[in-house]
Amino acid sequence: MKRVRIVALREDRKRLLEHLQDSALIQIKKVKKNEKGFSNVDVTSQMQVFERNVALTEQALKILDDYSREKKSMLSSFYGRKEIDPDDIGVIASKSGEIIEICRKINDLNKTIIENSSEQVRISTSLSQLEVWKNLDIPINTNDTKSTAVFIGSLPMKYTETELSQKITSENPKLEFEFEIQHTEDTMTCIVLFAPVSQKTMAEDVLRNLGFSKPMTLTAHTPKVKTERLKAKSKKLFEESEKAKENIISFASRRDEIKVTQDYFRIRADKYNVINELEHTRHVFVINGYIPEEDLDKLEALCNRVSTCYIESEDADEEAPVKLKNNRFSAPAQGILTMYAAPSHADVDPTPLLAFFFYFFFGMMFSDAGYGLLMVIAIGFVLKIFKPDDNMRRNLKLFQYCGISTFIWGLIFGSIFGDAPAVLYNHFTGANITMTDILPWPTLDPQKDALMLMIISIAFGLVHILVGMGCKFYICLKQKDYGGAFLDTGLWMLLLLGLAVLAVGIAVGPLFLYIGAGIAIACAVGLVLTQGRNKKGFGKVIGGLASLYDITSYISDLLSYSRLLALGLTTGVMAQVFNMLATMFGTNVAGSIIMVIILIIGHAINIGLNALGSYVHTMRLQYVEMFSKFYEGGGEEFEPFSLKSKYIKIKEDK
Amino acid sequence: MFENGMFFALVGASIATALAGFGSAKGVGGAAQASMGVLSEDSSKFGKMLVLTLLPGTQGLYGFIVGFLILVNCGVLGGAVPTVAQGLAFLGASLAIGIGGMVSGFAQGKAAVSGIAMSAKDDRNFSKAMVSVTLVEIYALLSFIVSLLVVISVPALSI
Repeated sequence: MKRVRIVALREDRKRLLEHLQDSALIQIKKVKKNEKGFSNVDVTSQMQVFERNVALTEQALKILDDYSREKKSMLSSFYGRKEIDPDDIGVIASKSGEIIEICRKINDLNKTIIENSSEQVRISTSLSQLEVWKNLDIPINTNDTKSTAVFIGSLPMKYTETELSQKITSENPKLEFEFEIQHTEDTMTCIVLFAPVSQKTMAEDVLRNLGFSKPMTLTAHTPKVKTERLKAKSKKLFEESEKAKENIISFASRRDEIKVTQDYFRIRADKYNVINELEHTRHVFVINGYIPEEDLDKLEALCNRVSTCYIESEDADEEAPVKLKNNRFSAPAQGILTMYAAPSHADVDPTPLLAFFFYFFFGMMFSDAGYGLLMVIAIGFVLKIFKPDDNMRRNLKLFQYCGISTFIWGLIFGSIFGDAPAVLYNHFTGANITMTDILPWPTLDPQKDALMLMIISIAFGLVHILVGMGCKFYICLKQKDYGGAFLDTGLWMLLLLGLAVLAVGIAVGPLFLYIGAGIAIACAVGLVLTQGRNKKGFGKVIGGLASLYDITSYISDLLSYSRLLALGLTTGVMAQVFNMLATMFGTNVAGSIIMVIILIIGHAINIGLNALGSYVHTMRLQYVEMFSKFYEGGGEEFEPFSLKSKYIKIKEDK
Repeated sequence: MFENGMFFALVGASIATALAGFGSAKGVGGAAQASMGVLSEDSSKFGKMLVLTLLPGTQGLYGFIVGFLILVNCGVLGGAVPTVAQGLAFLGASLAIGIGGMVSGFAQGKAAVSGIAMSAKDDRNFSKAMVSVTLVEIYALLSFIVSLLVVISVPALSI
């Protein structure tokens, strides 16, 4: 990685930045402090315009999706972004104004719909309040006449006419009154009460004592007329909303254009965002950034072609981002690595090792030739038809390679859709053969040789861990930390190897036993002597002895690899279970149909569950068992200034 | 009933399948509830939530496999009828995955719920959540291996 500094004329800024963005060569990084005479140019306001447009189109797309859902197939997530010719960008730009106008319209229509629906809610509340007054033939806010006071309202209890008149009389026997009950229900009585104007205050007092309250909806029309008007208004609002909906849906055909426009503004916003990071003087500006060493020539050629500029470069500092370089074999596993952490400068890039062990262990756990073949073919098909984007392509490739490994392990374990070939043969011919009779090569049946396979699994685990420690050894050497390399890592590696030889000795004979024990004891003594070296006084002895306790963590790491056996067995046995179930229904037509159905569903379930299990557990073995031995992580990934778009991909000029 | 070991073997098969299945059912159930809560907010996380929800489901599978292998070896779906001692051996073997699977299923379910909450907040936490939840699984796997090694070696024992 190199640190570069491009100094160019301000008039070339637009052109140069556009070309840099297209070529995705350089990661632009702001320097912390401006040098004297340089200043930043504030283009935030332009940027905000673009960002607002992006937000507006996003909103519009979401609204469109609410009213007319975009038809997507199950497999649509595999599709790559749409490719666009660079010459079309001009067309997109010229159309962008129109599209933004459409988006605005969509947003406005949506706003109308929302407002209308809240208005409708209000109307329906008023309607339900008016409902109880529907028999009233005077307006609710009728005023007093010259001689009569009118009270229209409700009391919070249920009364019959006699009850109410008794109640009022008992409250104030002097009051003269006349009333009409409009409506009663359990907790309410709606009344119209007339009293002489001269007794108005008296009537008010009585009514207050009874809990009288005026209706919420006051209107100068009779309730019947008002109800009709409200209903008409609600209907009108409803029609308006429907029309707005139709209007929005009519824009659904512009969806793709909106997406393209959104990307256009997104790219432009990105570019302006970068301008904020640059240093300017009156006539020149400076781009600071990082670039992979091998791309430096390309950058120079490009810059000199499109602008008048001066470029200088130096070796990158500690903060520089890291670009992972991997060949076809290991690139797919890059995603697994970055999911954990991008490598820091102290790390070696472990992707090739990771890739190998990932394929290897995944295959061993999934271990079925039939499933492996299915994976390879299905993924090949998806890659061919859908042309997915780089990230998706890498992930799919990862599983394709895992599929190859699964296929090979399936052949070793003698498992092709479980024992389907043998079972089907037996089912239709009545013979009694096993997979070992069919396959011409010797197989390792996880069910019969479980113990053997367990030992093999742990042996692979030992290799895996030793490779991890080997990396640590190498890193220590590179950093000239010889104590760390030979005493901390080297001795433990030798100790583990000694124990492994010892284990072989138990099975083979005393010679290995003695050699192994000798190595192990020598290493243990070495560890006790050296591990306390950074401590003082008594701590030296304790530290040395205590370090031997680490052996437990190595043993638990090794035992962890028994999952290779367990998951390998699970796939095989599950497949056998489904094969057995499928062949339980006889050889007639109905039985055969049931058989096919059970086989398809059963194996689909098995693939789903066990592929997930294998993926997760392989990842765990890498992260927990191997990476813990050497991998620091915490680096920053190289992320060049590029066209970051969501829907379109601009074809490269060739 | 006790002329041969069939009864014990079948009890063993039931214990392995049912207890481990119980653990997984509870684990997956809790995780599924949590993930549906997340999905109600953001349905695009379905794939990731599905993975985390399914993780506590493996115990039930292991139990089922042990149960199935007992059935295959005890004269129900094949193999010879076991002696009483062999039947008891099957029963004993099933306890490992039965109990181990059940308890680890509960524990993994709880871990999965936390993992779901964690990756709901930030997608980048997903792989960490996944690996952390898998840490519990090793104990189910160890139980499974013990049960399995016993079950497949019992028919050859002359007891």
